[in-house]
Amino acid sequence: MNREGGETFLRLLAEAEMRDQLAPSPPPWTGSPGAGRVKVKVVGQALTAVRALDTDTVEDILADFDLAVSVRRLHDKAGQGPAGTGLHGTTPRTMRAASAARLAAQIQFGRAGPAARLALSRPPGSTGSPGPADPEDPPPADHDPDQGTPDRFVPLGVTVPLHHDGISGDLHLMSYAHTGSGARFIALWGKPTLSPQHELGLQNPELFPIGRLTVTDDRGSAYELDYTHGGGSEWISEISLHPAPPDDIRWLEVAAPPSPAVRVDLTPPGGGEPEVSEAALSPGEQLLIMLAEQLLTVAAQFPLAPRPGLPEISPRPVQAMGAGLGDIIAGLEAVDVLSPLSPVPARLAALCASLRIGGHGIAAAPADDLPEPWLSLLAYYQRRKPDTAQVRDGYAAVTAALPELDGIRLALVGLHNTQGATVLHVLARGVTREGRLGPFSVDLDFPLSFWLRDNGGRWHAAHPVGWNPREPEHAIGLLLVPPLPRSTTWVDVLAGGRSAEVRTRLPLRWGFPS
Amino acid sequence: MIVPNDPWFDCLPSCEAHVPCGQSRHIVRWEAGTLRLASHPDPEAELVLAALGGEKARCVELAETWGRHAEDLSVLAIGPRGPADEIAVSWDDVDAAAQAGQRGGRIGYRPGPRHGPMRLASPSIPTAARAQARQQQDLEDRERAARRRNDMLSLLALGYGFQVRLIGQVAQAHADRPDQATEPETGTEPEPGTGTGTGTEPEPGTETETETETAEGVSGVSGVTPALVAAIAGRLAPVAEEWLGIDPDQVVVSLHRGPGWGSVELTGRGEQRRLRVSLPAGWLARVWAAGLALTGRHLVVAVERAGWPDARVLALRAPGTEPVPLDVHASQPGPVGGGRQVRPTAADAPHWEV
Repeated sequence: MNREGGETFLRLLAEAEMRDQLAPSPPPWTGSPGAGRVKVKVVGQALTAVRALDTDTVEDILADFDLAVSVRRLHDKAGQGPAGTGLHGTTPRTMRAASAARLAAQIQFGRAGPAARLALSRPPGSTGSPGPADPEDPPPADHDPDQGTPDRFVPLGVTVPLHHDGISGDLHLMSYAHTGSGARFIALWGKPTLSPQHELGLQNPELFPIGRLTVTDDRGSAYELDYTHGGGSEWISEISLHPAPPDDIRWLEVAAPPSPAVRVDLTPPGGGEPEVSEAALSPGEQLLIMLAEQLLTVAAQFPLAPRPGLPEISPRPVQAMGAGLGDIIAGLEAVDVLSPLSPVPARLAALCASLRIGGHGIAAAPADDLPEPWLSLLAYYQRRKPDTAQVRDGYAAVTAALPELDGIRLALVGLHNTQGATVLHVLARGVTREGRLGPFSVDLDFPLSFWLRDNGGRWHAAHPVGWNPREPEHAIGLLLVPPLPRSTTWVDVLAGGRSAEVRTRLPLRWGFPS
Repeated sequence: MIVPNDPWFDCLPSCEAHVPCGQSRHIVRWEAGTLRLASHPDPEAELVLAALGGEKARCVELAETWGRHAEDLSVLAIGPRGPADEIAVSWDDVDAAAQAGQRGGRIGYRPGPRHGPMRLASPSIPTAARAQARQQQDLEDRERAARRRNDMLSLLALGYGFQVRLIGQVAQAHADRPDQATEPETGTEPEPGTGTGTGTEPEPGTETETETETAEGVSGVSGVTPALVAAIAGRLAPVAEEWLGIDPDQVVVSLHRGPGWGSVELTGRGEQRRLRVSLPAGWLARVWAAGLALTGRHLVVAVERAGWPDARVLALRAPGTEPVPLDVHASQPGPVGGGRQVRPTAADAPHWEV
């Protein structure tokens, strides 16, 4: 990898952007005053994403760029040109002082600290053992990721009724997962019915009565429960079992007295093996594909802007994402992580054309062939109406362990619809939660392309929206765009990495929380 | 063969600026590569007194600042690209920025945590300790950033003449050793194979086994070549535009190493037209900083015999030709203006003629 070439490229880009921004009559393509910085930043992020540059170098270049531009614009408010030539000393002191103070307040200088890691803990009122491990804490004693036993993922779709202290509710067990990191249920809390005392605020409801649950196995052994609340209104949770049950147990009984116990069959589902096909993406191609998918998912969230008598245009956030794509591609080529013969830039150009994004600067001519998932999402983007009915709430018991992709092992452990969105829950090993963001907020910690195709033939892009980081196994929520209708009976999963692509078909068994 | 053995600054006359220092204004002079404080005959002694609790004079602070940044590549990225790019920073601006910094103005942008449905608060004790450490680190980063910003503003406030001389000094400091790392980190080694792109080219996406990885997975050693290439490109491009009428974006610069002055050639047509220039880092110090870059419609590529106001340079009439020696003469810089803002502006820069 030509890292020196990467830094040289970024510094020269900063030079060119500064030259354009500060020209007496900036050319129209230079955009707003901040456009140059955005371009330098996204290209820097791209070069960092492929590990051609470190973040410190990029931030130093940006800091120099910021100061270089700021000192030249110091007196712009006083009506001077960018360079302030010839008007030296004519600005009133107060105005100059105010400009300088703004400079002090605005200039970024130095290096940003590492992105804050996310901390997790038990929610108030939970009664389990200590909360989820911090990413840097040692794993609990019974966590042995390499103990050699096969992982077990079982879709459940079982509802445990809860009645206590005037509260009635349900606990929906979506799936059971037993891996080297332990055993747990992936669960969804149904919205409880409160007593009048609770409604009037005379009594605080215990919304997650984990302490009332008992779990025993087919040999009569009981388990302690540890509860991890996923947060958010959907109340997805993990209920861990301690110690981890033996591998060969057939069922568990879950009870919340006085309600009767519910038996949970742990027989793994049958089904075909995932198909694995080889791939050979360069790091640059992989990043561009991630950017394309981000572009598609962002575009899907914004309606086209109508213009009477003219073709609709993409909304501003989507347009903004096109800025710098050509420079990103040139930068990736400069550091030898993208071949000039790669077909991906041409596909990205075609995508921009389909989304009516101009000014992207991609030199390649738009390709004729776009991947089927991209076409599907583009069709959704172009045909959807603002008043499209939301998908109804519900969850699907679905599990699958996917073969390793680029050192990452994913297991699907559930899917649910809430508030018009669909979130697929996966457990991931081989990823590290560093909070690394690429251009346009692409989550670099999840370097996979992930799609679902429903039985109607529509594709749904999946990208991470929530992490529960726990080494070595992270729980990740993947948002599906567009959401999955509850009428879906099966999905094809397509997960792609640099070295391989995995496909598998999974039946969906929907449950319907009240 | 060009082997300059005379000081890089021999084509530059002295210059001076008035600096508000205490209750009065003092003269700070640059002369023969050195900053001189006319009103502070013994700055070393003043530094000792300041260390013992006395007030440090601004002139003395300025000399320290100059020294701190005499090899700082950021000076090349921030400083002027030419006489048309004059950066007007006043001492009032410097004072205002310093006061804003003391009031705790926000200096940097820190991206906040992203909110997702699976994130919770209530940090554990180790997490709280780490958060405290991060806060401390943030504070130190901000202080360092503020100091660096104020340093730069002070240096810019000296005026164009000082700005180009500092650029010359920084460029010259790196001219003889362009392959060095800027921030060598313990435990890492210089990256092999960087620089001129010689050797076998790996397939896209592959890495050589010899690359040193840091915690971030990227080699922590960064050479000075990219900064020098950008510094030359940023200053040569407007000169080339004036020389040939070429679009500055069509100027492609590389760093020349070894004997000789480098090369300049024009290739392609239309949008593919490129002016490919290879010059040593010392060109910035000996030629550009002295205001010699474009003299008598020639692109000056080297100084054969340095001097003020008479010198002999090597210059190109057109790309692709051999440089010819030219005897050049500089006119005296214009009179320095009076009042509160006495300092050398771009109008005071030397003007050379054949």
